[in-house]
Amino acid sequence: MSNNQKETKNYPNKGKSLPVEKSIKDTVFNIFKKALEENIFDALLIPAKVPDTDAYSWILLQDESLFDIADPLPPVMTVQGGRALSSFSKNGELGLKIAALLRPCEARAVIELFKLHQVDLDNMTLITIDCPGAMPLADYMNDPKKIADSFKKISEKWEISESLRPACQNCHRFSLMDGTGPDLHIGLLGENNKVTLIANSPEGNDLLEKLGFESKDSLDKWKTEKEKLVKEKTKKRESFLKEWQEKTKNPDGFFNELNKCINCHNCMNACPICYCQQCYFDSQMINFKPEIYLKKSREKGALRFPLNTMLFHIGRMSHMVLSCVACGACEDACPVSIPVGRLFSMVGDKTQKQFDYVPGLNREDPLPLQIFKEDEFCEVETPNECEEKATEEVK
Amino acid sequence: MAKAIKIKKNVEEGLFDFLKSLLEKEKINGVFTLKKMDDNGAISYSLITSPDEFKDAVPLYPFMPVNAGKALSSFTLLGKTEEPIAAVLRPCELRAFVELVKRAQGDLENFLIISPTCGGVLSLNLMGDKNQEKIVSQYWTSVQKAEISPDTRETCQFCENFLPINADITVAALGNKDLDKEFILFLNSPKGEEFAKHAEGSAVSEEIETKEINEFRKKREELREKFFKETGKEGEGLKSLINIFAPCLGCHGCSHVCPICYCVLCDFDAKTHEYHSASLSLDLKNKGGLKVPTGNLLFHLGRMTHMAVSCVNCGMCSDVCPVNIPVATVFSKVGSSLQKVFNYFPGKDIEEPAPQGTYKEEEFKTIGEQ
Repeated sequence: MSNNQKETKNYPNKGKSLPVEKSIKDTVFNIFKKALEENIFDALLIPAKVPDTDAYSWILLQDESLFDIADPLPPVMTVQGGRALSSFSKNGELGLKIAALLRPCEARAVIELFKLHQVDLDNMTLITIDCPGAMPLADYMNDPKKIADSFKKISEKWEISESLRPACQNCHRFSLMDGTGPDLHIGLLGENNKVTLIANSPEGNDLLEKLGFESKDSLDKWKTEKEKLVKEKTKKRESFLKEWQEKTKNPDGFFNELNKCINCHNCMNACPICYCQQCYFDSQMINFKPEIYLKKSREKGALRFPLNTMLFHIGRMSHMVLSCVACGACEDACPVSIPVGRLFSMVGDKTQKQFDYVPGLNREDPLPLQIFKEDEFCEVETPNECEEKATEEVK
Repeated sequence: MAKAIKIKKNVEEGLFDFLKSLLEKEKINGVFTLKKMDDNGAISYSLITSPDEFKDAVPLYPFMPVNAGKALSSFTLLGKTEEPIAAVLRPCELRAFVELVKRAQGDLENFLIISPTCGGVLSLNLMGDKNQEKIVSQYWTSVQKAEISPDTRETCQFCENFLPINADITVAALGNKDLDKEFILFLNSPKGEEFAKHAEGSAVSEEIETKEINEFRKKREELREKFFKETGKEGEGLKSLINIFAPCLGCHGCSHVCPICYCVLCDFDAKTHEYHSASLSLDLKNKGGLKVPTGNLLFHLGRMTHMAVSCVNCGMCSDVCPVNIPVATVFSKVGSSLQKVFNYFPGKDIEEPAPQGTYKEEEFKTIGEQ
């Protein structure tokens, strides 16, 4: 269907395994500390806990003392990492070498934002980490201590727990994928008490070399464990997709899920892909004179206010769903608990397959709509002509 | 004595019948009110023009999915409605609409405004709850007894302005122990009196300020003091603010649902407030680290200076916050002291200009240049 020419990039075969002495966090931080000390990069983007509160945030860290509050895998995803990275790099000219430690879905969002010219990846090293998922933001805010504790247990066992965010329960892309996404990946799966550094680009190789690490250790154990979990989570994802496709097979089924929407646009403002300065649905384009509203109301007997509540979701979907990385930030931000992340992820899954496109997988893959050709999807757009063409081809 | 009629029906049913008959008799061309969207508890505002569609109307349902003042502003932003419309809205929603009309963001003309004595609204996270019906029924019991329902928004629990101002018709619900049998409509304007002729009620002489209402106000005042005391420690200054707003995602949901924040594009969403990557080196050198995205606290402070003097304490902002920041309580606390300083009551008098519009150089010399 698609014209994407994919150069399959094989997994790296070797990595660098480091023993965990105190804690995983400590081992990971020691690598970063060394890199900062030796000026391999100037600052690190990493999640951190705001002092004296239970809140997590992102910090661009330069001063080593800030490692005290940093956390590579906090129990929640606050601002989506792609959004955080874009917020300070979209105008370019950073003038500093920056490394960003991101969850895989956040790094995939960064790659999409790169294609949309919303981040500057010059001088930026993307580092991902095997991700056990995150807890729903609302649950955490209601009882931070309890939720942080249960997250600790879940993540230690790599459990596909129902307490995780739905997006994370159904995520099969929680580790390094076979593509040109991050520069470096930190493998936590596989061997106990070991952290595995996997270079995934020349820049990643370079980084490891500068740190004095040789990629000589086997990745077999990490791969085996990872593939096992990918398989398990793919199965989980498939059953989720099936369940939700069934639920929403009629338009009514789909729209009923959105009935509670109060039009706050939190989903859009949390979405890393929705980067527009001003959404069409927030603009003056949607204002009409009262008589138009009354006319619209008479057509159906009643007119919902605010207007365009459903149209907003459909419009947003058509704009961004091909790049949807299924991070679930939208669902976390919804004040009325609409399963908006699941709806978008489900539609995204199908649409992306149609275009043979995996958002965030490869930096080189063009966005499907940029290379869309007239005659694509003729079976949808002009079924009659399409049939003729197909018959001709057979002849 | 205030003009009033008594209707011998359950308050929800009575108001429903009254509005439906206005629509059927074509005394009005539409009703702007809450409507059930499905059987799962979803409620939304709707402009209902057909009596058939009116069957799902729930005018007094205790949810505020959007501040109705904001919704009516979007309806009348480009001009007044030429056709008569009845609108049922809560006192704070009506005050918000008045504030918006003052700012040329809407038009009150041709509306028949109906507003209840308000027991508050339930938190939006209860919408679609499996116990929704039970919670709503408990809510009505507390309204009957003029008690503060613990399921209502924090801002509702300490709201003192629960009697409508500027309504043509006031629906007396609070503290009416017989509201499942009868209730009173107060007719506050000639328009209200005119339309009320179509309600099946009999004239009575009653006052809106009852003993129950006064006691209710006292309870709320006590809670107000309590909540204000707990939210933001005096004397801690910036640190307290930093801690309160620490979990902020910068989603700007609070400003998006705020009826007073009417800007098409908030300054904090505009290019002007984007971080300049060129400042990164210097910022990191000075601070050692930078919380990103930057400017979350500045956004709240900026928004506050823009709208707090008109804050009607509706609580929408807190209800949509995905990280439970008590935005409304903070804004209400600041708003109420600010409004005292300016001797301004937002939404009270349509003729009274907003304080920023009449501010004079020599004001507040004690705070500014001494």
